[in-house]
Amino acid sequence: MGIPVGIDVRDEGVEPGALDRAFAWLRGVDATFSTYRADSAISRLNAGTLALADAVPEVRAVLARCETLRERTRGCFDVRARGPIDPSAFVKGWAVEGVASMLVAAGARNLCVHAGGDVRVRGERAPDLPWRVGIQHPHLRDRTAAVLHARDLAVATSGAYERGAHIVDPRTGEPPEGVLSVTVVGPDLGTADAYATAAFAMGVEGPTWTAGLADYEALTILSDGRVLSTRGVPDVE
Amino acid sequence: MNGRVVARRAVPAAVATAAVVALLANVRARPPSIAAPAGAGREPPPISATVEPAVRRVSARRPTRKGPVRSAIETATTPFSIIQLRVTLTGDELTRVETLELSGDNARTEAINARAEPILREEALKAGISGDIDVVSGATYTSRSYRKSLQAAIDRARARG
Repeated sequence: MGIPVGIDVRDEGVEPGALDRAFAWLRGVDATFSTYRADSAISRLNAGTLALADAVPEVRAVLARCETLRERTRGCFDVRARGPIDPSAFVKGWAVEGVASMLVAAGARNLCVHAGGDVRVRGERAPDLPWRVGIQHPHLRDRTAAVLHARDLAVATSGAYERGAHIVDPRTGEPPEGVLSVTVVGPDLGTADAYATAAFAMGVEGPTWTAGLADYEALTILSDGRVLSTRGVPDVE
Repeated sequence: MNGRVVARRAVPAAVATAAVVALLANVRARPPSIAAPAGAGREPPPISATVEPAVRRVSARRPTRKGPVRSAIETATTPFSIIQLRVTLTGDELTRVETLELSGDNARTEAINARAEPILREEALKAGISGDIDVVSGATYTSRSYRKSLQAAIDRARARG
Protein backbone atom coordinates (compact mmCIF):
# COMPACT_ATOMS: atom_id res chain seq x y z
CA MET A 1 0.00 0.00 0.00
CA GLY A 2 1.35 3.43 -0.93
CA ILE A 3 0.20 6.98 -1.18
CA PRO A 4 0.39 8.61 -4.60
CA VAL A 5 2.07 12.01 -4.66
CA GLY A 6 1.58 14.50 -7.49
CA ILE A 7 3.51 17.71 -8.07
CA ASP A 8 2.27 20.35 -10.49
CA VAL A 9 4.66 23.27 -11.02
CA ARG A 10 3.53 26.06 -13.33
CA ASP A 11 6.64 28.20 -13.48
CA GLU A 12 9.29 28.44 -16.05
CA GLY A 13 12.87 27.79 -15.09
CA VAL A 14 12.42 25.47 -12.14
CA GLU A 15 15.15 22.92 -12.64
CA PRO A 16 13.92 19.32 -13.00
CA GLY A 17 16.36 18.31 -10.30
CA ALA A 18 14.10 20.04 -7.79
CA LEU A 19 11.39 17.44 -8.46
CA ASP A 20 13.93 14.62 -8.08
CA ARG A 21 15.08 16.03 -4.75
CA ALA A 22 11.50 16.40 -3.57
CA PHE A 23 10.67 12.78 -4.35
CA ALA A 24 13.95 11.60 -2.82
CA TRP A 25 13.12 13.49 0.35
CA LEU A 26 9.64 11.91 0.41
CA ARG A 27 11.19 8.45 0.16
CA GLY A 28 13.38 9.36 3.12
CA VAL A 29 10.35 10.56 5.09
CA ASP A 30 8.59 7.30 4.31
CA ALA A 31 11.61 5.21 5.38
CA THR A 32 11.75 7.14 8.66
CA PHE A 33 8.10 7.46 9.59
CA SER A 34 6.28 4.52 8.00
CA THR A 35 4.45 2.27 10.41
CA TYR A 36 4.48 -0.42 7.69
CA ARG A 37 8.27 -0.79 7.75
CA ALA A 38 9.80 -2.68 10.64
CA ASP A 39 13.06 -0.74 10.26
CA SER A 40 11.55 2.77 10.36
CA ALA A 41 12.34 4.98 13.32
CA ILE A 42 8.68 4.96 14.34
CA SER A 43 8.49 1.14 14.25
CA ARG A 44 11.70 0.88 16.26
CA LEU A 45 10.40 3.40 18.82
CA ASN A 46 7.29 1.25 19.18
CA ALA A 47 9.36 -1.94 19.43
CA GLY A 48 11.52 -0.35 22.12
CA THR A 49 14.69 -0.82 20.08
CA LEU A 50 15.18 2.92 19.58
CA ALA A 51 15.13 5.56 22.31
CA LEU A 52 13.52 8.89 21.43
CA ALA A 53 16.71 10.69 22.45
CA ASP A 54 18.61 8.67 19.83
CA ALA A 55 16.12 9.31 17.01
CA VAL A 56 16.98 11.72 14.19
CA PRO A 57 16.02 15.36 14.86
CA GLU A 58 13.10 15.19 12.37
CA VAL A 59 11.46 12.44 14.40
CA ARG A 60 11.81 14.36 17.63
CA ALA A 61 10.55 17.56 16.00
CA VAL A 62 7.53 15.82 14.46
CA LEU A 63 6.57 14.10 17.70
CA ALA A 64 6.99 17.38 19.61
CA ARG A 65 4.64 19.10 17.17
CA CYS A 66 2.18 16.23 17.46
CA GLU A 67 2.21 16.65 21.23
CA THR A 68 1.42 20.37 20.87
CA LEU A 69 -1.40 19.48 18.48
CA ARG A 70 -2.74 16.90 20.92
CA GLU A 71 -3.02 19.64 23.52
CA ARG A 72 -4.64 22.07 21.07
CA THR A 73 -7.23 19.47 20.04
CA ARG A 74 -8.34 18.46 23.53
CA GLY A 75 -6.63 15.12 22.99
CA CYS A 76 -8.61 14.31 19.84
CA PHE A 77 -5.53 14.27 17.67
CA ASP A 78 -3.36 11.73 19.42
CA VAL A 79 -0.54 9.74 17.82
CA ARG A 80 -1.32 7.06 20.41
CA ALA A 81 -5.07 6.97 19.73
CA ARG A 82 -4.82 3.33 18.74
CA GLY A 83 -1.98 2.32 21.05
CA PRO A 84 1.41 2.41 19.33
CA ILE A 85 2.82 5.72 18.09
CA ASP A 86 1.40 6.54 14.66
CA PRO A 87 2.01 10.11 13.50
CA SER A 88 0.89 9.33 9.91
CA ALA A 89 -2.00 11.81 9.93
CA PHE A 90 0.41 14.66 10.68
CA VAL A 91 3.40 13.38 8.73
CA LYS A 92 1.57 13.21 5.40
CA GLY A 93 0.67 16.90 5.59
CA TRP A 94 4.04 17.85 7.03
CA ALA A 95 5.82 16.05 4.18
CA VAL A 96 3.73 17.75 1.50
CA GLU A 97 4.32 21.11 3.19
CA GLY A 98 8.04 20.29 3.10
CA VAL A 99 7.90 19.50 -0.61
CA ALA A 100 6.14 22.80 -1.31
CA SER A 101 8.85 24.65 0.63
CA MET A 102 11.60 22.84 -1.27
CA LEU A 103 10.02 23.83 -4.58
CA VAL A 104 9.67 27.44 -3.48
CA ALA A 105 13.34 27.41 -2.48
CA ALA A 106 14.09 26.13 -5.99
CA GLY A 107 12.31 29.13 -7.49
CA ALA A 108 8.76 27.85 -7.98
CA ARG A 109 5.99 30.30 -7.18
CA ASN A 110 2.91 28.69 -8.67
CA LEU A 111 2.52 25.11 -7.64
CA CYS A 112 0.21 22.42 -6.36
CA VAL A 113 1.28 19.33 -4.45
CA HIS A 114 -1.14 16.56 -3.56
CA ALA A 115 -0.63 13.35 -1.62
CA GLY A 116 -3.38 10.90 -0.81
CA GLY A 117 -6.06 13.56 -0.46
CA ASP A 118 -3.88 16.27 1.10
CA VAL A 119 -3.39 19.41 -0.96
CA ARG A 120 -0.99 22.36 -0.79
CA VAL A 121 -1.29 25.16 -3.34
CA ARG A 122 0.78 28.29 -3.75
CA GLY A 123 0.45 31.08 -6.26
CA GLU A 124 -1.99 30.54 -9.09
CA ARG A 125 -2.88 27.95 -11.70
CA ALA A 126 -2.59 30.69 -14.36
CA PRO A 127 -2.18 34.46 -14.19
CA ASP A 128 -5.02 35.95 -12.15
CA LEU A 129 -6.66 32.55 -11.79
CA PRO A 130 -6.60 30.91 -8.38
CA TRP A 131 -6.27 27.17 -7.92
CA ARG A 132 -9.56 25.28 -7.80
CA VAL A 133 -9.50 22.70 -5.03
CA GLY A 134 -12.39 20.25 -5.12
CA ILE A 135 -13.64 18.66 -1.92
CA GLN A 136 -14.38 14.99 -2.57
CA HIS A 137 -18.06 14.06 -2.37
CA PRO A 138 -18.30 11.40 0.35
CA HIS A 139 -20.66 9.11 -1.57
CA LEU A 140 -20.03 9.81 -5.25
CA ARG A 141 -16.49 9.09 -6.34
CA ASP A 142 -16.58 11.25 -9.45
CA ARG A 143 -18.23 14.28 -7.87
CA THR A 144 -17.23 17.15 -5.62
CA ALA A 145 -19.13 18.44 -2.59
CA ALA A 146 -17.60 21.93 -2.94
CA VAL A 147 -14.86 23.78 -4.77
CA LEU A 148 -12.53 26.21 -2.99
CA HIS A 149 -10.64 28.92 -4.83
CA ALA A 150 -7.25 29.53 -3.27
CA ARG A 151 -3.86 31.10 -3.92
CA ASP A 152 -1.88 30.05 -0.89
CA LEU A 153 -3.56 27.39 1.12
CA ALA A 154 -3.23 23.99 2.74
CA VAL A 155 -6.28 21.72 2.47
CA ALA A 156 -6.65 18.46 4.42
CA THR A 157 -9.66 16.17 4.66
CA SER A 158 -10.41 13.37 7.10
CA GLY A 159 -13.22 10.91 6.54
CA ALA A 160 -14.14 7.27 6.76
CA TYR A 161 -15.25 6.74 3.16
CA GLU A 162 -11.84 5.72 1.77
CA ARG A 163 -10.17 3.43 4.25
CA GLY A 164 -13.06 2.54 6.51
CA ALA A 165 -13.22 3.49 10.15
CA HIS A 166 -9.53 3.97 10.83
CA ILE A 167 -9.99 7.18 12.82
CA VAL A 168 -11.23 6.70 16.35
CA ASP A 169 -12.19 9.18 19.04
CA PRO A 170 -9.33 8.72 21.52
CA ARG A 171 -11.78 9.51 24.33
CA THR A 172 -13.98 6.50 23.54
CA GLY A 173 -11.83 4.29 21.30
CA GLU A 174 -14.75 4.17 18.87
CA PRO A 175 -15.12 5.63 15.39
CA PRO A 176 -17.16 8.85 15.41
CA GLU A 177 -20.78 8.88 14.34
CA GLY A 178 -22.79 11.42 12.43
CA VAL A 179 -19.97 12.83 10.34
CA LEU A 180 -18.77 11.82 6.87
CA SER A 181 -15.80 14.13 6.39
CA VAL A 182 -14.06 17.20 7.76
CA THR A 183 -11.95 19.46 5.54
CA VAL A 184 -9.64 21.94 7.26
CA VAL A 185 -7.88 24.75 5.39
CA GLY A 186 -5.19 27.13 6.58
CA PRO A 187 -1.55 28.14 6.36
CA ASP A 188 0.14 24.83 7.30
CA LEU A 189 -0.77 21.38 5.98
CA GLY A 190 0.53 19.32 8.89
CA THR A 191 -1.57 21.35 11.29
CA ALA A 192 -4.58 21.24 8.96
CA ASP A 193 -4.23 17.46 8.78
CA ALA A 194 -4.13 17.09 12.55
CA TYR A 195 -7.08 19.45 13.01
CA ALA A 196 -9.11 17.56 10.38
CA THR A 197 -8.36 14.26 12.11
CA ALA A 198 -9.29 15.71 15.50
CA ALA A 199 -12.49 17.37 14.29
CA PHE A 200 -13.55 14.17 12.53
CA ALA A 201 -12.90 12.16 15.71
CA MET A 202 -15.13 14.60 17.63
CA GLY A 203 -18.09 13.60 15.48
CA VAL A 204 -21.01 16.02 15.52
CA GLU A 205 -19.18 18.20 18.06
CA GLY A 206 -16.44 18.85 15.52
CA PRO A 207 -17.99 21.75 13.59
CA THR A 208 -18.44 23.90 16.69
CA TRP A 209 -14.88 23.18 17.75
CA THR A 210 -13.53 24.18 14.34
CA ALA A 211 -15.35 27.53 14.59
CA GLY A 212 -12.99 28.46 17.42
CA LEU A 213 -9.75 27.75 15.57
CA ALA A 214 -7.39 30.65 14.87
CA ASP A 215 -6.12 30.90 11.27
CA TYR A 216 -7.91 27.72 10.14
CA GLU A 217 -11.34 27.22 8.60
CA ALA A 218 -13.35 24.04 8.21
CA LEU A 219 -16.10 22.42 6.19
CA THR A 220 -17.84 19.42 7.74
CA ILE A 221 -20.15 17.04 5.89
CA LEU A 222 -22.58 15.38 8.26
CA SER A 223 -24.27 12.01 7.73
CA ASP A 224 -27.68 13.68 7.56
CA GLY A 225 -26.65 15.56 4.42
CA ARG A 226 -25.87 18.92 5.98
CA VAL A 227 -22.65 20.78 5.22
CA LEU A 228 -21.45 23.09 7.99
CA SER A 229 -18.73 25.63 7.19
CA THR A 230 -16.95 28.18 9.32
CA ARG A 231 -17.40 31.70 8.03
CA GLY A 232 -13.96 32.16 6.52
CA VAL A 233 -13.89 29.16 4.17
CA PRO A 234 -12.51 30.74 1.00
CA ASP A 235 -14.71 31.32 -2.01
CA VAL A 236 -16.81 28.18 -1.96
CA GLU A 237 -18.47 27.31 -5.23
CA MET B 1 2.92 7.98 5.71
CA ASN B 2 1.54 4.56 5.02
CA GLY B 3 3.75 2.20 3.11
CA ARG B 4 5.64 3.18 0.06
CA VAL B 5 5.50 6.65 -1.41
CA VAL B 6 4.58 6.17 -5.03
CA ALA B 7 6.39 8.74 -7.09
CA ARG B 8 4.08 9.79 -9.87
CA ARG B 9 6.83 11.57 -11.64
CA ALA B 10 5.55 11.15 -15.19
CA VAL B 11 2.50 13.19 -14.34
CA PRO B 12 4.07 16.23 -12.73
CA ALA B 13 6.82 16.43 -15.31
CA ALA B 14 4.27 16.45 -18.10
CA VAL B 15 2.16 18.99 -16.29
CA ALA B 16 5.09 21.25 -15.65
CA THR B 17 6.16 21.13 -19.27
CA ALA B 18 2.71 21.71 -20.70
CA ALA B 19 1.99 24.58 -18.37
CA VAL B 20 5.30 26.30 -19.00
CA VAL B 21 4.59 26.64 -22.69
CA ALA B 22 1.28 28.33 -22.02
CA LEU B 23 2.40 30.63 -19.24
CA LEU B 24 5.83 31.63 -20.34
CA ALA B 25 5.03 35.27 -21.01
CA ASN B 26 3.27 36.04 -17.79
CA VAL B 27 4.82 34.03 -15.07
CA ARG B 28 8.07 35.91 -14.83
CA ALA B 29 6.52 39.33 -14.69
CA ARG B 30 4.27 38.54 -11.80
CA PRO B 31 5.45 38.98 -8.26
CA PRO B 32 5.03 35.92 -6.09
CA SER B 33 1.51 35.73 -4.79
CA ILE B 34 1.82 35.28 -1.08
CA ALA B 35 -1.56 35.85 0.46
CA ALA B 36 -2.18 36.31 4.14
CA PRO B 37 -3.02 33.07 5.94
CA ALA B 38 -6.67 32.21 5.67
CA GLY B 39 -8.60 33.66 8.54
CA ALA B 40 -5.94 36.16 9.56
CA GLY B 41 -7.43 39.42 10.71
CA ARG B 42 -10.94 38.09 10.59
CA GLU B 43 -11.41 37.63 14.31
CA PRO B 44 -14.51 39.42 15.53
CA PRO B 45 -13.79 42.20 18.00
CA PRO B 46 -13.76 40.89 21.52
CA ILE B 47 -16.87 41.73 23.48
CA SER B 48 -16.55 42.30 27.15
CA ALA B 49 -19.17 43.20 29.68
CA THR B 50 -16.99 45.92 31.10
CA VAL B 51 -16.29 47.91 27.98
CA GLU B 52 -14.26 51.04 28.40
CA PRO B 53 -16.23 53.50 26.29
CA ALA B 54 -14.30 55.61 23.84
CA VAL B 55 -15.52 59.01 24.93
CA ARG B 56 -15.46 61.89 22.51
CA ARG B 57 -15.83 65.17 24.27
CA VAL B 58 -18.03 67.55 22.34
CA SER B 59 -17.85 70.54 24.64
CA ALA B 60 -14.38 70.69 25.96
CA ARG B 61 -13.93 73.96 27.76
CA ARG B 62 -12.57 73.29 31.17
CA PRO B 63 -14.75 75.00 33.75
CA THR B 64 -13.24 76.98 36.55
CA ARG B 65 -13.51 75.61 40.07
CA LYS B 66 -16.18 78.03 41.23
CA GLY B 67 -17.70 78.48 37.80
CA PRO B 68 -21.33 78.13 36.81
CA VAL B 69 -23.20 74.90 36.22
CA ARG B 70 -22.63 73.71 32.71
CA SER B 71 -23.52 70.68 30.64
CA ALA B 72 -21.55 68.82 28.13
CA ILE B 73 -22.83 66.26 25.68
CA GLU B 74 -20.60 63.28 25.26
CA THR B 75 -20.88 60.41 22.87
CA ALA B 76 -19.71 57.06 24.07
CA THR B 77 -19.15 54.37 21.52
CA THR B 78 -19.32 50.80 22.70
CA PRO B 79 -19.31 47.72 20.54
CA PHE B 80 -23.07 47.60 21.06
CA SER B 81 -24.34 51.07 20.31
CA ILE B 82 -23.74 54.79 20.39
CA ILE B 83 -24.86 56.33 23.64
CA GLN B 84 -25.19 60.04 24.25
CA LEU B 85 -24.74 61.28 27.75
CA ARG B 86 -25.45 64.69 29.28
CA VAL B 87 -22.81 65.35 31.85
CA THR B 88 -23.50 68.17 34.25
CA LEU B 89 -20.59 69.78 35.94
CA THR B 90 -20.65 72.22 38.82
CA GLY B 91 -17.35 73.93 38.77
CA ASP B 92 -15.14 71.04 37.75
CA GLU B 93 -17.09 68.44 39.70
CA LEU B 94 -19.23 65.93 37.93
CA THR B 95 -22.68 66.31 39.46
CA ARG B 96 -25.02 64.54 37.11
CA VAL B 97 -24.97 62.09 34.20
CA GLU B 98 -28.07 61.52 32.05
CA THR B 99 -28.57 59.17 29.16
CA LEU B 100 -30.09 61.17 26.33
CA GLU B 101 -30.44 58.66 23.58
CA LEU B 102 -29.64 55.14 22.69
CA SER B 103 -29.19 54.30 19.07
CA GLY B 104 -32.30 52.18 18.90
CA ASP B 105 -34.26 50.85 21.84
CA ASN B 106 -32.84 47.39 21.54
CA ALA B 107 -29.43 48.34 20.25
CA ARG B 108 -27.59 46.24 22.77
CA THR B 109 -29.87 43.26 22.37
CA GLU B 110 -29.60 43.41 18.62
CA ALA B 111 -25.84 43.51 18.82
CA ILE B 112 -25.82 40.49 21.08
CA ASN B 113 -28.16 38.67 18.74
CA ALA B 114 -25.88 39.47 15.83
CA ARG B 115 -23.03 37.94 17.80
CA ALA B 116 -25.08 34.85 18.60
CA GLU B 117 -26.03 34.38 14.97
CA PRO B 118 -24.89 30.91 13.93
CA ILE B 119 -21.12 30.74 13.73
CA LEU B 120 -21.42 28.08 11.07
CA ARG B 121 -22.93 28.33 7.62
CA GLU B 122 -25.30 25.50 6.80
CA GLU B 123 -25.99 24.13 3.35
CA ALA B 124 -27.31 20.91 1.93
CA LEU B 125 -24.76 18.48 0.51
CA LYS B 126 -24.64 18.79 -3.25
CA ALA B 127 -22.84 16.87 -5.94
CA GLY B 128 -20.83 19.10 -8.25
CA ILE B 129 -19.58 18.15 -11.67
CA SER B 130 -15.87 17.89 -11.24
CA GLY B 131 -14.66 19.05 -14.64
CA ASP B 132 -13.21 22.40 -13.68
CA ILE B 133 -10.94 21.64 -10.77
CA ASP B 134 -7.19 21.29 -10.48
CA VAL B 135 -6.89 19.01 -7.50
CA VAL B 136 -9.03 17.11 -5.00
CA SER B 137 -8.89 17.01 -1.24
CA GLY B 138 -10.41 13.92 0.27
CA ALA B 139 -9.99 11.24 2.90
CA THR B 140 -6.65 9.47 2.55
CA TYR B 141 -6.57 7.19 -0.46
CA THR B 142 -3.92 4.66 -1.30
CA SER B 143 -2.20 3.88 -4.57
CA ARG B 144 -4.78 1.15 -5.11
CA SER B 145 -7.82 3.37 -4.67
CA TYR B 146 -6.05 6.24 -6.43
CA ARG B 147 -6.51 4.51 -9.77
CA LYS B 148 -10.25 4.99 -9.58
CA SER B 149 -10.11 8.39 -7.95
CA LEU B 150 -11.17 11.77 -9.17
CA GLN B 151 -7.57 12.90 -8.64
CA ALA B 152 -6.31 10.21 -11.01
CA ALA B 153 -8.78 11.33 -13.68
CA ILE B 154 -7.56 14.92 -13.32
CA ASP B 155 -3.90 13.86 -13.46
CA ARG B 156 -4.52 11.75 -16.56
CA ALA B 157 -6.22 14.65 -18.29
CA ARG B 158 -3.30 16.95 -17.39
CA ALA B 159 -0.74 14.45 -18.61
CA ARG B 160 -2.50 14.37 -21.97
CA GLY B 161 -2.12 18.12 -21.94
